[in-house]
Amino acid sequence: MMLLALGLSFSAFTALSLAMEKHQLDLHGKQAAPVSRRRQWSGLGWVLLGAAFGLSVVDHGWAMGPVLWLGTMTIAGLLLAFGLYPWKPRWIAPLALALPALGLVAALV
Amino acid sequence: MKNGFRQSMAWLHTWTGLLVGWLLLLIFMAGTASYYREEISRWMRPELPATTVSTDVAAERAVHYLQEHAGHAETWFVTLPDPRNPAMRMFWRNPESMVKPPVEGERRRRGGGRFGDATVDPNTGDKLEARETRGGEFFYRLHFDLHYIPVLWARYLVGFCAMFMLVAIITGVITHKKIFKDFFTFRKDKGLRSWLDFHNVSAVMALPYHAMITYTGIVTLMVMYLPWGIKAAYPTDEDAFFSEAFGGMPEVSAPAEGRAAPLPIQQLLDSARTHWKGVDVSGFSVAHPGAANAVIDIRQRDGRRLSVDTPALRYDMVTGTLLMESPASGAATATRGVMYGLHLARFADWGLRALFFLSGLTGCLMVASGVVLWAVKERPKHAKSGRIGFGLRLVDALNIGAVAGLPIAFASYFWGNRLLPLQLPERADAEVSVFFYAWGAALLAAFIWPKRLMWTWQLYLGAALFALLPLLNALTTHAHLGVTIPAGDWILAGFDLVMLAFGAMLAMCGWRMQRWTPPLSAAEKKKRAAAAAGGSAVPIEAKA
Amino acid sequence: MATFSTGSDAINRNCRITVDRSPSTANTTANTRLATFFARPGWGVFSRSMAAIFGGYALAAVTSVFCALALPGARGQTVLTGMLLAIVVCACAALWAFATRTALRAWIGILLPTVVMAAVARALGAWA
Repeated sequence: MMLLALGLSFSAFTALSLAMEKHQLDLHGKQAAPVSRRRQWSGLGWVLLGAAFGLSVVDHGWAMGPVLWLGTMTIAGLLLAFGLYPWKPRWIAPLALALPALGLVAALV
Repeated sequence: MKNGFRQSMAWLHTWTGLLVGWLLLLIFMAGTASYYREEISRWMRPELPATTVSTDVAAERAVHYLQEHAGHAETWFVTLPDPRNPAMRMFWRNPESMVKPPVEGERRRRGGGRFGDATVDPNTGDKLEARETRGGEFFYRLHFDLHYIPVLWARYLVGFCAMFMLVAIITGVITHKKIFKDFFTFRKDKGLRSWLDFHNVSAVMALPYHAMITYTGIVTLMVMYLPWGIKAAYPTDEDAFFSEAFGGMPEVSAPAEGRAAPLPIQQLLDSARTHWKGVDVSGFSVAHPGAANAVIDIRQRDGRRLSVDTPALRYDMVTGTLLMESPASGAATATRGVMYGLHLARFADWGLRALFFLSGLTGCLMVASGVVLWAVKERPKHAKSGRIGFGLRLVDALNIGAVAGLPIAFASYFWGNRLLPLQLPERADAEVSVFFYAWGAALLAAFIWPKRLMWTWQLYLGAALFALLPLLNALTTHAHLGVTIPAGDWILAGFDLVMLAFGAMLAMCGWRMQRWTPPLSAAEKKKRAAAAAGGSAVPIEAKA
Repeated sequence: MATFSTGSDAINRNCRITVDRSPSTANTTANTRLATFFARPGWGVFSRSMAAIFGGYALAAVTSVFCALALPGARGQTVLTGMLLAIVVCACAALWAFATRTALRAWIGILLPTVVMAAVARALGAWA
């Protein structure tokens, strides 16, 4: 369950970063998305973050769930800001899709 | 004054961070290591076998040991083995009448002989035969008791630094104007900008953690820092505060006349487990063992709640009747319990513990990048005069000695554990000395020559010391990766692997430091851009 | 970035520039020289630091006593609440000491609540 929450947090942060013009330019240069599209990314990001929160609480209770959720966000954020955006921006989109999928598999197995 | 508030908060952030940054680095590194103090202790005593017996058998052996060696004690306190720590620790308190004055020349025991302790191997029921070491407990104690100074002074100093840190965190948030816009921003290879981005991201990504760990750290010792409320509300009986505020079981009355045999410990532990619907036991305390009115307080295993106060059940040891449950906590007691619990993170399972550890490391990076950032920002001001001023030189030296020197010290502690002779007297203290000698040497070297090359050397040295540890492990013990991975002993294997990871990271830092070139001046950049664009027919007069 | 000035420090510095430095007035009285010395920005910072550290701790200490005696509920609980709040109060005092316009305001803003809470606590029986 924790891996799924981690995957969802990562995807959430990816979406939220794509809602910012700066990172749109980083990834897509001239084909940066317009404001309306960015708002959709923002919405998706918050929904995914909420899903990660819900999952953490369901799995670990109201005391430890939020603590775990904050931890997943820390990892996700560090991975994006310190690892992917500066050095491997092309990996971001695939990872944002793959990590929650892997997490789901791990949760069901 | 326009922007006066943010500006003054920025100033305050700089100085609260810088003045105590190096000590904070020590506290943060040792504290972060403490998340794995049990695992570190296990790695540092590789002779220790994993526990193969059940909790009940372990408890039986504990009781047997205590009956033999502490039969006349007033209280026993036992921590049963768990997956992270295979040894059993027990403490006992002797009655006043039994306290002997210290023998001439003998080192006075802490507590004056009133207390006794033992670490027992649950597989054999005997005292543990493993190399004498303080293990991971050294790091735990280091981060609030420091070393070489009286414990009280150390705790006041650490509390002072923690307060500075709290102010630094708050002012940092206030000063960081674009905290949301720059949430994911890290511009690499841009000198000062990169250092600032790194500092910001490492701070913001784990901001709830940093604020929590700092505030809760102060909370753990708040009774020492702010005793005035106790004195005001309990002018005549301060002890009553502790029993009222920290809940727990009330004191047991004096021992009854006559002895009586207690029930088998397994039966008592089972009663507790049944009462808790299956949740296991972490340990127990016995008051007046052997007496007719002996009682046992059985504590629940950690991991089900944030609070450090775990529920307990009190049973009569002779009849087995449940006497009482731990009382419900008041709101403030529960709040303080959760604060304390969050700081210790005893509740954390392997996944959550890894997250805490990572957040702690991020904190170390935040503090380290902060002190380095100051030096990077300050240096151009000295470029005009050509000489480095006293303040910057001091900061440079401390930066190297702390940021690069502390990892050397930590790794050296582990090297000492593997290399010091097993029968060395005062071996545990010798290992600690290795830590401080190594750190002292790094600091001294940094003060003698605080240059970029010293950074490089110390980073590479730290990298080597960490990366070669698994090899040293293989050469000196039978608990190396070749054995632990096939055996699935992930605690010992994980330690070696993490050491390799730290070595790799430090090596990468050293390499980048080695390859660093000074940034080009604006004129240089223009010249190169023009040359790259094919060059004009007219040669440009370069002004260096 | 190491530059920092409060409102009054800036004013004082401007005053210094217009002070007469001709030899005929070289025999300035000790008072004016002292005032000039203390007008340097360093003293503002020092004063605020003292207010933040010592004043802040005093405020925190008094807050914990005040809460212990004035808050409703069991003694043990109010004492604990006082301690938990006092830590936050200390941090806020440090921020106030450097955010406010003058060093004098820093001291007043910290000492005034301290004295008020101390008076109330005294009335409730503290330090009897």
